[in-house]
Amino acid sequence: MKRSFIHRGTHRLLLCLGPGGVGKTTTASALGLRAALEGGAVDVMTVDPAPRLLDALGLDAGTSEPQAVALDGLSVSGAGSMRALKLDPKRTFDAVVERYAPTRAMAGAILENRLYRNLSEALAGIGDYMAMEKLLELYDNPSTDLIVLDTPPAREALDFLGAPERLLDLLNSRATTLLGGGLRLSDLAARAVLSAFDRVTGLHLLGDVHAFVRSFEGMYQGFAERAARARTILTGPECMVLVITSPEELRVEETGAFIRSLDKAGIAIDALVVNRVAPPMPDQLRLGKVKPASLQNKLRRNWRDFAALKERESASLRMLGEMLPQGVMMLAAPDLGREPRSLADLAEIAGTIESADLRER
Amino acid sequence: MLGENYNPMAWPRLTFVIGKGGAGKSTVATALATHLAGIRPTVLADLDQRGSAARLLGLRPPDDGMVRAAQRLDICSLSARRELEHFIERIVPVRMISNRMLGSRTFTYVTAALPGLQAFLLLSRLSSMAGEAAREDRYVVVDGLSTGASLELLSVAAGVRNLAGAGTLNRMAAELETFIADPNRFGVAIVVSPQELALREALEAAGRLRDQFRIDRVVAILNGVAAPVFTKVEAEQAMTADPEHAGLVRRRMDFDAAARRVRKELGAAGLEVIELPMLFTAAIGQAEVARLSRSLRNKVTA
Repeated sequence: MKRSFIHRGTHRLLLCLGPGGVGKTTTASALGLRAALEGGAVDVMTVDPAPRLLDALGLDAGTSEPQAVALDGLSVSGAGSMRALKLDPKRTFDAVVERYAPTRAMAGAILENRLYRNLSEALAGIGDYMAMEKLLELYDNPSTDLIVLDTPPAREALDFLGAPERLLDLLNSRATTLLGGGLRLSDLAARAVLSAFDRVTGLHLLGDVHAFVRSFEGMYQGFAERAARARTILTGPECMVLVITSPEELRVEETGAFIRSLDKAGIAIDALVVNRVAPPMPDQLRLGKVKPASLQNKLRRNWRDFAALKERESASLRMLGEMLPQGVMMLAAPDLGREPRSLADLAEIAGTIESADLRER
Repeated sequence: MLGENYNPMAWPRLTFVIGKGGAGKSTVATALATHLAGIRPTVLADLDQRGSAARLLGLRPPDDGMVRAAQRLDICSLSARRELEHFIERIVPVRMISNRMLGSRTFTYVTAALPGLQAFLLLSRLSSMAGEAAREDRYVVVDGLSTGASLELLSVAAGVRNLAGAGTLNRMAAELETFIADPNRFGVAIVVSPQELALREALEAAGRLRDQFRIDRVVAILNGVAAPVFTKVEAEQAMTADPEHAGLVRRRMDFDAAARRVRKELGAAGLEVIELPMLFTAAIGQAEVARLSRSLRNKVTA
């Protein structure tokens, strides 16, 4: 397969950001597949894949270790290899705690903490932090050419990149100070809020928070170093940043805000990938010859219906194109008219992703 | 399953509209609010943060407070963060300190240290809105969150009750659990598009809403059902008549098949299903929302 935009420059990482419900995981997988079919050794890390997609990739949902995706069925000559993995934040966090806790007892203290056990899913940015941990693990494997990183659906563009800092904030020694013996006025106020809340509510959470944060003592440094390293990689030249969206009208504004806030944070995006773009419309004039007339009328009605949808889509694409900074590619991933159910479907999407820089048309 | 006082004709005071991204959640919520406003005064609360509801009605999204969208329809925006700010302003009476706190990193610690607090406060707000609506004989429609985030939000009541063995919070949490289980005050509308992925997500969510959260009133709104054009025989004729148009005919038939399958599976899961047509229009705006709200006329009654 011809080498595509994925290989331009020296990218080793494809970071896929974007709002929820646009088919981000599907697009990320298709891009990974494309790079693998072009000869690369590719790892695709997904966060929340649909069962259908797991089936398409032939993945077992029960593990968060990389699994090989069988590409031989596609009979593409010169194909490389592809591994896919589904991230399980809780399990990864458990593993990280077990690996980095100075003693077994300390690991146990964290894993048994009431707060952690009840709320680890809600705990600030834990899923995103864990994605970074896993990313570093994959990154340090020298035989991998490209890592495609799918991210959890984000409301705010910086949710993912800012998550490690939020977790670190919680684990920071300043948080311990806050809970143990703060000095600043605002710290005292925060502690007053926490203890008032605790007292009034009978939650008795403070003790647990304090214990939770304390149990990370000695691990904080390592956490902070790895988060900093991941951030360097993700914002460095080796990382290609893609924003994935879909062409619905109500998404345009959201996508624009997403791109602007990335820009404001100094994160340059390389391409906007618009997923599920409908194929071009056939010529209506051809229908003049169809008989009987009743069938011709139905075909005309069908054409009009789809033409209206296509018009709506084109308006969205135009607006997206206008809000995109100069030099940023705008690509389209085709709408298959059905949900991808096989590796061949993914390959079909992958094969046509590049061909449509909408602004050059 | 149904409570003794359950009246199948009464639409709940507050409808929490959820759905997979792209299923048309905001459009459906806006159409539902428009329809209900024809029966009683209605507030459309935008939790979605994108301001989609206001935009669909040709208005600028409100930052804070209410905007009037129609004679009996008002739009307001809700956010978990703002509820937390109000809470902290209440607890820390000295304005200077609470302001400094809200602007500082310390604030991050507070929110990080009390996961679920924001969601809890937001749910309390919904409960009081439903209470007000009952007193003033109004409706509230919430343009909610994606399905996953909505389930997280609703799970916070039980989560907090389990964490706090006793005390005020335990009581508050128990009240919230009663609120969401009360079919007169609270109902969830799951917006589903005729697609496999959306269907799976909706069925899973409906199961959890009913079994785990004990929510009595759950309806599925199947959005985007295309009117059939071709019979099977006609479709075959059409596809051979013009190969270039065959793709469009196939897509149309795929729409039909998908709608049939999704309708059947939602019904089999025991869900009340309300169908809305697919709009083959070049834009979605006020006229289209009005059209959708008209098609709710016989399906959603007071």
